[in-house]
Amino acid sequence: MIKKSFALAAASATAMALALASPTHAAGTAAGSTITNTVSVDYRVGGVQQNQVTAADSFVVDRKIVLTVVERAPIGTTSVSPGQTSAVTAFDVTNSSNETLDFALGVTQLSGGAAPRGTDTFDVTAPLLWVDNGDGVFNSATDTQVSFIDGLAADATRTVFVVANVPLGLATGAIAGVTLTATAREGGAAGLGATITQTAGANTAGKDTVFADDATGGNTASDGAGFARDDYTVAAAALSVRKLSTIFWDPVSLYAEPKMIPGAIVRYCIAVENAAGSAAATNVSLSDTLPTTLAFVSRNAADGQALPIRVNGGLTAPGGTCDPATGTTGGSNSGQTVSATLEDIAASGAKTLLFYAKVN
Amino acid sequence: MTRLFFTFLAVASPAAAWAADAVSLTSTVLVERQKLDAQGRPTVALEEPQVVVPGDKLVFHLNYRNAGATPAQDFTVTNPIPASVSFTAGDGAIVSVDGGTSWGRLAALKVKGADGQPRAALPTDVTHVRWTLASPIPAGGGGQLSFRGIVK
Repeated sequence: MIKKSFALAAASATAMALALASPTHAAGTAAGSTITNTVSVDYRVGGVQQNQVTAADSFVVDRKIVLTVVERAPIGTTSVSPGQTSAVTAFDVTNSSNETLDFALGVTQLSGGAAPRGTDTFDVTAPLLWVDNGDGVFNSATDTQVSFIDGLAADATRTVFVVANVPLGLATGAIAGVTLTATAREGGAAGLGATITQTAGANTAGKDTVFADDATGGNTASDGAGFARDDYTVAAAALSVRKLSTIFWDPVSLYAEPKMIPGAIVRYCIAVENAAGSAAATNVSLSDTLPTTLAFVSRNAADGQALPIRVNGGLTAPGGTCDPATGTTGGSNSGQTVSATLEDIAASGAKTLLFYAKVN
Repeated sequence: MTRLFFTFLAVASPAAAWAADAVSLTSTVLVERQKLDAQGRPTVALEEPQVVVPGDKLVFHLNYRNAGATPAQDFTVTNPIPASVSFTAGDGAIVSVDGGTSWGRLAALKVKGADGQPRAALPTDVTHVRWTLASPIPAGGGGQLSFRGIVK
């Protein structure tokens, strides 16, 4: 029995040595690892314990190239404004191979056809690739602009950003689809490694290579490369401006049925409207220079009634005129020019500027 | 790829009377491959381990033979599972889930779960397989044992 327990101790030691020599991952046993199976027999002859007999068989684990490229969560289009710079879409590249590899990266733009969320209708300009520093957020100060991922360990995932500019003059709903492609390259040394080819023909005694990537998402199976698509969707503001005038007072009829006679006061309404489905318009500034036949007034000199400039008011009805009861005092005038900056105008919203001028 | 070790009895051994008695043992491993036959039906073929990658199914064969002139009794075959292989099944074997300390049918064994409480052992917990042959192997007799695993 002493002998048997010794044999078991030896077997355990063998198992431990193997565990140290062959690190395993979810991606699997490291490529190039040798798996040795050792079997032992204990037996008796004529009631006497005999020496243990052992046999072993070994083989080398080959390299299985598996990679996935997916749109990084949260899945969805990147909403952009016309003229926006550094608009970001994000992808995750995962190395599920049983070896550390480099990945060559490339970005291409769709030319029409199906983007993930609609039909591609425009191209972004100057798309560049950046590798994330691990926080999952694009930051040009901490992330690195690259053309490849250097040394992505087995089971590791790296986030890659496509950063591009959006041309001006695009309408809401325009879509630009981009494709990120990652191709497995030899890992190891710094810099982009050599191209990997699948081992053709029979097994060799050493480490062979098998492309085992699948065809998910339109990919080609067993090509050692993967791609995914993401898209940019334009959300533009579509503003329209209307200018309306109402006779407010005249020196003869006063406020009751005033007529447009010299000395009369006219109320001007400038309505800025944003179309349905548009992006909110921000920093909307207005400027209106009056003709010389009119003079800006802030009070009625005849009766002393204050007639301030009012901003951010609403309309009496959609498409209607300014509601003078709404809005707040604001804006400014400089001589014949009235100017104001309005609050943000949401889709289907309207904001107004209201002021008074006297007919010379 | 197959190495073979014979351990002959030392001359000085008290069992020198049975010095001629020896058991030969070989261990081979084959890879299970899904293939389509001429009619397009899936069939399973066993191949030499040519290209082996994680996830491949392995079949380990242990061939034994009593090359001696005397029956071999209490014949016990012990096979630690290689660290990079996950055990799936072994025909008629008892197993150990604690590195060879205790043995039994897999269904009867328990291991400590992630929460510290004992749970039923799974095939992936198996560290060793063992067969104990009930009857002696006659001189010249032999046989084959096998178990299955998956490359981690």
